[in-house]
Amino acid sequence: MPEPFKLTVSHAPFRHNGSRISIKNYNILAATLLAVIPGLLVYGGAALSVVTLSVSTAMIWELVMNYLTRRPYSIGDGNAALMGMLFAMMLPATTPWWVVVVGTFFTIVIGKQIYGGLGGNPFHPAVLAMAVLMLSWGGYFDFNAALVDYQFDFNPVYPLVLVKSFGSGAVEGFSAIDLLLGRQVGGIGTFCGLGLVIGGVYLMLRGYIRWEISCSFIAGILVTAFLFHHANPEAYAGAGFHLLTGYSLFGAFYLATEDSSSPVNFIPMLIYGALGGFLTVLIRNIGAYVDGVVFAILLINLTNPLIDKIRPKTLRKVINYA
Amino acid sequence: MKRSFFGFIKPRLTYEAIADTQAEPAYVQVSEKIRLLLDQPAEHAAEIVLSVGDHVKSGQRIQTADDAGEYELSSKSGNITDIVPYLGMMQKRMTAVTIAVDPESAQTPDETFKQESPAPTLESAARFLQGLPGKPDFSPFFDPGKLIKAIVVLGVERDLMAVTNQYFIKTGIESIKTGIDVLRKITGIHNVVLAVPEHLVQVAGASGAGVKTVDSEYPASHPQLIVRHILADEMKSGDLSAPADVAFFSAEAVSAMGAAFNTGQLPLNKLLTFISKDGNKRLACAPIGTPLKDILEAFNETVQDADRIIFGGPMTGTAVYSIDEPVQPDTDMIMIQDRSQIPESADIACINCGECVRVCPVNVPVNILVRLLEAEKYEAAASEAELDACIECGLCTYVCESRIPIFQHIKLAKHTLERMKAEESNA
Repeated sequence: MPEPFKLTVSHAPFRHNGSRISIKNYNILAATLLAVIPGLLVYGGAALSVVTLSVSTAMIWELVMNYLTRRPYSIGDGNAALMGMLFAMMLPATTPWWVVVVGTFFTIVIGKQIYGGLGGNPFHPAVLAMAVLMLSWGGYFDFNAALVDYQFDFNPVYPLVLVKSFGSGAVEGFSAIDLLLGRQVGGIGTFCGLGLVIGGVYLMLRGYIRWEISCSFIAGILVTAFLFHHANPEAYAGAGFHLLTGYSLFGAFYLATEDSSSPVNFIPMLIYGALGGFLTVLIRNIGAYVDGVVFAILLINLTNPLIDKIRPKTLRKVINYA
Repeated sequence: MKRSFFGFIKPRLTYEAIADTQAEPAYVQVSEKIRLLLDQPAEHAAEIVLSVGDHVKSGQRIQTADDAGEYELSSKSGNITDIVPYLGMMQKRMTAVTIAVDPESAQTPDETFKQESPAPTLESAARFLQGLPGKPDFSPFFDPGKLIKAIVVLGVERDLMAVTNQYFIKTGIESIKTGIDVLRKITGIHNVVLAVPEHLVQVAGASGAGVKTVDSEYPASHPQLIVRHILADEMKSGDLSAPADVAFFSAEAVSAMGAAFNTGQLPLNKLLTFISKDGNKRLACAPIGTPLKDILEAFNETVQDADRIIFGGPMTGTAVYSIDEPVQPDTDMIMIQDRSQIPESADIACINCGECVRVCPVNVPVNILVRLLEAEKYEAAASEAELDACIECGLCTYVCESRIPIFQHIKLAKHTLERMKAEESNA
C-alpha cells in the first residue's frame, strides 16, 4: 500500500545544539572590530582601504578557488572574510594594494584552499601569508618606515625595534597603560591591546576560541619574558612590555586559536599555547626578527599533529549488553 | 537543548524526571491489525511453524521452525494475514507477520506458558518471556563464555525525554519487587542492583534490591557507564572481576516478568512515552505490534510530508518511513518532529574545532576518527582511532559545528567491519 505522504528518514541524533561554522566565524569577525575600529580612527582612510581590500580580495580568491576546484561555494561560512580581516589587522596602514592582494592570495589559495579548504590547512592561513610576505618584501612591514608620514602625540618608534636595538632602557617611556590603550605604532588591528583583550575574552566566554590555548600562550610569554628580564634587566624588557607590544595579544587570541591548525585535547592545548609564547619571546630576544609571533605560530602549527597525540585513555568497550 | 551562551561550558543534557503529576497512560486500541517483526531472515519464513490463515492466540509464540531461535509474542489473538520479508536497520533481514485481530470479546489467551511453567525457571523464562515488553534478554545466562555475577535493573531511561521506566518505579515498585524476587530465584544471583535517578531513590528502597543512584546528565544511564561508575566499588573489591559479569534488565521487563510468573498471564502491553510535535509528553499503553497510525490517531496527531517520526529517543532512536511501523517490545518512546524542527546536516569537512572530543564520555578521538571514517578506512579507524570504544550516545553529532553525521558514519563502519569479519570466518 503506498504511503499517503513521505516522512523524513535520517540517522540519529535528531537534535542539534544549533552551532554552525558561520555563526562562529561571524562572532570572531565581530570581536575583531573592537581592535580594528581604533586602527581606523588612528590611521584613517588608508587603514580602511587596506582592511576592505583585504577582506574583499580574500573572499574573491575563495570564490575563484571554489570555481576552479568545482567545490560548493563556501564564502557563506565567513571564514574567507575572517582570514582576510586577520591578515589586514597585521599590516601597517600604508601597505601598497598589490601587497594586500598577493597576501590574500597566499592566505586563501596557498594557506587554505590547496589543502582542500577549511579544516585541511596545517598552518594558520593568514600567518603563512604574513611569513611569506615578511621574507619577500620585508621593507613594507617596517613600521617605523611605513608610518613615517603620520603625526602622533606619542613616541612614534615601534617599541619592539627600540628594545631590540637599544635595550630595555629605551622603552621606559612606554607605560603599560599607554601600551594597553594603543598609544604605540603597530599593525592596523594589533596595537590596541584593550580592544584585543575585550574581544578575546568575549570569544573565550562564548567558546568560539579555546581559552586553554590563549591563556597558556599569554602565560608562556609572561614567564619567558620575566626570566629573560630577570637574567639581564638591561638588555631584555619586562614581561608586561612583551605582552602588550607587537602581535602578542593578537597572536594569543586570533592566531594560535585557529581550529584546524591547533590541538583539541586539554594538555596538548596547554603545551601548544605555552610553547608559542615561549618561542615568541625567544625569537624577539635572541633571534634575528623584531617580532617573533608569526614564526612562533608557524612553528607550533608544525608541532600540532604530534602533541595532539597526548590524549586521555579511552574507556574501552568492556561488555556486550543486549 | 541549545548551545549555552557561555560556550566554554560543556553542554549539559539531562534526562527527563518523571513529574509528580504524570497522568495515567492512555490505552491505545488496536484498530484491525498488529504486526510483529521477527529477527529472522525472510527465507526462513517458509519454515515458520504457522502459515497465512492460521489462528493464533494472545501470548502465543510466533517463531521459525528452529525452536531455539528468536520469537515474538502475539499480543492479540487473530488470524495471520501476511508473512513478508522486512528490511530493518542496516539492511538487517527480518520477517514481518501481520495478524488480523479478533474482536475484544473473542480474545483467547494462550495457555501454554501457564501449563508448562508451574514453577519459575530460567529455561521457561528464556522460552516464553523474551518477547515481553521491555525485551528481557536471558541469553547472557546461557552464554558459556560468561559467568554472570550481578544483575542491574535499569530504572533509568535509555534516552532523553522518556519517562517510561521511571513510571514503573514510581507507580509499581511492588511488581518490580516481585520481578526481582523471581529473577533471584531463577538465576540464583543475589546481587541485584536497582539503578534509579536521584528523585526515585526513596521509592526504590522498597524493591529489596541494592539501590544505586545514576546521575541525571546524559549519557550516565548508558549500561556501560553504569557498570563503570556505579559498580566501581564492587569491581575494586573483587566481587566482580570483569564488567562482562553483569546482566541488564529494564524496570519494565522485570515488572512484566514478575507478573508473568505470578499470574500465569503474559503482560503484552508496551508502555511508551509519546512526544507530540508541540513537545507535549504523554504516556501510552499499546499492545506490542500496534501500528503507529493507531497511536497517532489515539493522540489526535496529524503527520504530513517531510515530518519525522522517531522510535526511541532524540539521541539514539530510529527514524521510521511508514506509519504502519509497529510498536516493538523495546520501543520506549515515539517522538514526532515537525519538518520545521528538523536540524539540517551537511557534508562540510571537519574543521577540527574539537567540540566532539571534549564532549565524548569515553574519550574517543572523534576528530581523528571522523577523518578515517569519511575516507572509509574502517580498519584503520578501529585500530588507530578507538572505533570500538564508542558507546553510541550521539553527543559528538549533537555538538558538531560542521554538522557531520558522525554517528551515522560510526554505525556504518561498525556494521561494515562486522560483515567483513563474518565473511572472513565463513570463507
